[in-house]
Amino acid sequence: MRAGLPCCTRENEPERKSRWNIRRCLERRGMTRLLKMPPQIIRLVLLTIGIVCVYFTARFFLTPQSFGQYGHYRADALQDIASRQPYWAGKAACVACHPDHAAKLASGEHKTLSCETCHGPGRAHVERPDEKLPKLNMSLCVRCHEASPSRPSWLHQIKVQNHYTGSLCTECHVPHQPNEVPP
Amino acid sequence: MSQTITRRAVLKNLAGIVGGILAMPAARTCKAAVQNALASSPAPTGYDPFKHKWLMALDVDRCIGCGLCVEACCEENGVPEGHWRTWIERYVIKKPDPASGKARGETIVDSPDGGKKGFPPLLIPKEDILKSFFVPKLCNLCDHSPCTQVCPVGATFDAPDGAVLVDGKYCIGCGFCIQACPYGCRFLNPETHTAEKCNLCYHRITRGLKPACVEICPSQARVFGDLKNPVPDMENDPLRQFIAKNKVEELKPSLGTGPRVAYAGLDEVVR
Amino acid sequence: MHDTILTNLVDALPQFEGYVYPNERTLHPLWSVLIVVYPYITGLVAGAFIMASLVRVFKVKALEPIYRLALLTALAFLLCATLPLLFHLGHPERCFEIMMTPHFSSPMAMFGFVYAWYLMAVLLLELWFDYRRDFVEWSKTQTGLRGIIYRAFTLGVTDLSEPALRLDAKMGRIISIVGIPSAILLHGYVGFIFGSIKANPWWGNPLMPIIFILSAVVSGMALCVFAYMFLCWARRVTADMRCLDLMISFLFYAVVLDAAVEGLDWLHRLYSAEEGIEVLKEVASSKLFYTLLIGQACLGTLVPLLLLGTMQLIRKKVAELNRRRVYFASTVLILIGVLAMRWNVVIGGQLFSKSLRGFMSYKMEFAGHEGWWLSLALLALPFVILTLFIKYFLAQDLPHD
Repeated sequence: MRAGLPCCTRENEPERKSRWNIRRCLERRGMTRLLKMPPQIIRLVLLTIGIVCVYFTARFFLTPQSFGQYGHYRADALQDIASRQPYWAGKAACVACHPDHAAKLASGEHKTLSCETCHGPGRAHVERPDEKLPKLNMSLCVRCHEASPSRPSWLHQIKVQNHYTGSLCTECHVPHQPNEVPP
Repeated sequence: MSQTITRRAVLKNLAGIVGGILAMPAARTCKAAVQNALASSPAPTGYDPFKHKWLMALDVDRCIGCGLCVEACCEENGVPEGHWRTWIERYVIKKPDPASGKARGETIVDSPDGGKKGFPPLLIPKEDILKSFFVPKLCNLCDHSPCTQVCPVGATFDAPDGAVLVDGKYCIGCGFCIQACPYGCRFLNPETHTAEKCNLCYHRITRGLKPACVEICPSQARVFGDLKNPVPDMENDPLRQFIAKNKVEELKPSLGTGPRVAYAGLDEVVR
Repeated sequence: MHDTILTNLVDALPQFEGYVYPNERTLHPLWSVLIVVYPYITGLVAGAFIMASLVRVFKVKALEPIYRLALLTALAFLLCATLPLLFHLGHPERCFEIMMTPHFSSPMAMFGFVYAWYLMAVLLLELWFDYRRDFVEWSKTQTGLRGIIYRAFTLGVTDLSEPALRLDAKMGRIISIVGIPSAILLHGYVGFIFGSIKANPWWGNPLMPIIFILSAVVSGMALCVFAYMFLCWARRVTADMRCLDLMISFLFYAVVLDAAVEGLDWLHRLYSAEEGIEVLKEVASSKLFYTLLIGQACLGTLVPLLLLGTMQLIRKKVAELNRRRVYFASTVLILIGVLAMRWNVVIGGQLFSKSLRGFMSYKMEFAGHEGWWLSLALLALPFVILTLFIKYFLAQDLPHD
């Protein structure tokens, strides 16, 4: 109901000071019973309607677009989370270029290992094959094979301080095929 | 009651109508601008979360406590120091005092730095130890996750493919989910001030890779698979094999959270 | 020198004993002092409102002198209730999300709506209906800023006829009746936030919301008595002893009920001795010795019970001045005791690990956004606002009544 409507123009009510004449509009629509409501109630109802309108307007603007698509969350979040770049390349990436090493590994007890478990992150090398991976540190063998009462019995364990101290592990063991002895 | 239609009235009407028409796109542009902060970035295409159901299973008898999985996770996900998305616990059950009449002695648990650099040698003499083992811990991928139930805004949720994820752009950092998780797998990231937890390396599994901890684990203690798309040759699907071969347990079943992560070889002292 | 470096380093690291989950090893608890202050403030609001509703709903005429003071107290504290939460959030700028996309399975999501409902549809509305006549009359006589404020608050309704005033009284009563369950909801949902956390054996308990509500009523009533006695002292006016005695009676019975239910909670825990009881006993008896056993139980509950109980029996034999002293001391002890109760539940519940095998020791900081200074400031602010309210809205002589 706007001031432009014919029934509420100034021409019809020259003696009233306000441009809005709620009483005339309600009379024309036969809703005069509303006028009998106490002024406190009318004001409070109008105020409530105003607050509710503000709330729903804010809700329209501030709710993200994809919210509620799959559930009570932002469906775009799935893409956001999945868009992070992986750090580890994965064994399949190594096997693609080094099938011979992979075959050797698969025939020995270290077949459960991924290449990157020992060789470190390989993505840089996969993207730029000329960039070689850093040399291995022998402390890695000890990390898994140091004897501990907490470790399961199927694992070959050594007490490092009693086991050929001063030598490198690779002098006697071949990591890609642990059952073999080097020439 | 004559309806005088003045030029003024008509112009006012027209202005109102045109304004109304222009307002809607203006409102939409404003809305888009306001939501700019929540815009998404490019992600792997062709992944349908409804076509997968991921699960991780843990074989306690195969865990050697090397902690390489914890390190791999921290590097993959940029986990801040002093917080862990996955960690290893070492349980030591001592032999009982003969006079006490008990079957087993005291249980001692530790997890130095979450097991990230492996475990230092035990200070308890070997003769006193009845049993000792390592237990890897992570998000239990609950069916009725208490953490998603209590999030007040819908920032953490159960994805259709079984992962429980946190929307870092929507989280308000109230910490309710961290209090509600019975397994201690959530933490408040001190840099982003939002809740964080293991998300099964969602960015890896949506690209067909395995989670970092599963990739790096040297002893196949962590078994990962897709319940909706098992490897066609059932013998080669590690998850199916694991579930067929082992008696499995879940952590804290009495709480009714419905944790899906299956543990084999657990002991009753593990919480 | 190496020793000092080592000591400082050890102090800088999180401290714990036994086994705690790695993610529980933080320097500060996740829900810290601010989350102690928030339930305390909403509890005071609920309790003060219940005291006011005794006048309108249960028609306890003798409490008429404190009706407006109780409502203004409730409003002053309610206006400050959101502040501790905003300071605590990791992303306070996203706080609107709780009202835009509330997750209705979460009790915390109720906060926005319950708070808005209670502030606007209960407290402000009841105050408006009670004050409307005064606003109209004061706006005619006062000029300047005060005049503008009074005129704004009339909302343009200047009808002071008999039917209008009767409607005001009737609406006030209806809103009071609606307000009682609203007040219970306002503070009950906070208790439910704790009670719903089944992961925590101390918190996850059906009695938790009830304990919170009852201690809220106790604290709110004690605050009304405290505010009334302080106001009378500040204005050099003698307190209405009939009103004061009656308030104290209600307070006494509320404390009895609260103590009974809290006692029941602990009795049941100790009796059924479920998993985790060892850890809880250790926390309650040694880590929380001063705040729980001394602060909450002895000073905050037993001593006021004894003092007020004795007063109930021998009231007529005690001189008014001494009675007032005992009342004042009791209310101060009760207020401190209820704050201690919030501390024990919130902080105490985070002192033991969910592995049920260890305890954490936290450092409480003074400065910083979860520190002591901020909490004290947030507790003092409602009193400052209440002083302003009293200055503007609780004049020496009221136009009526």
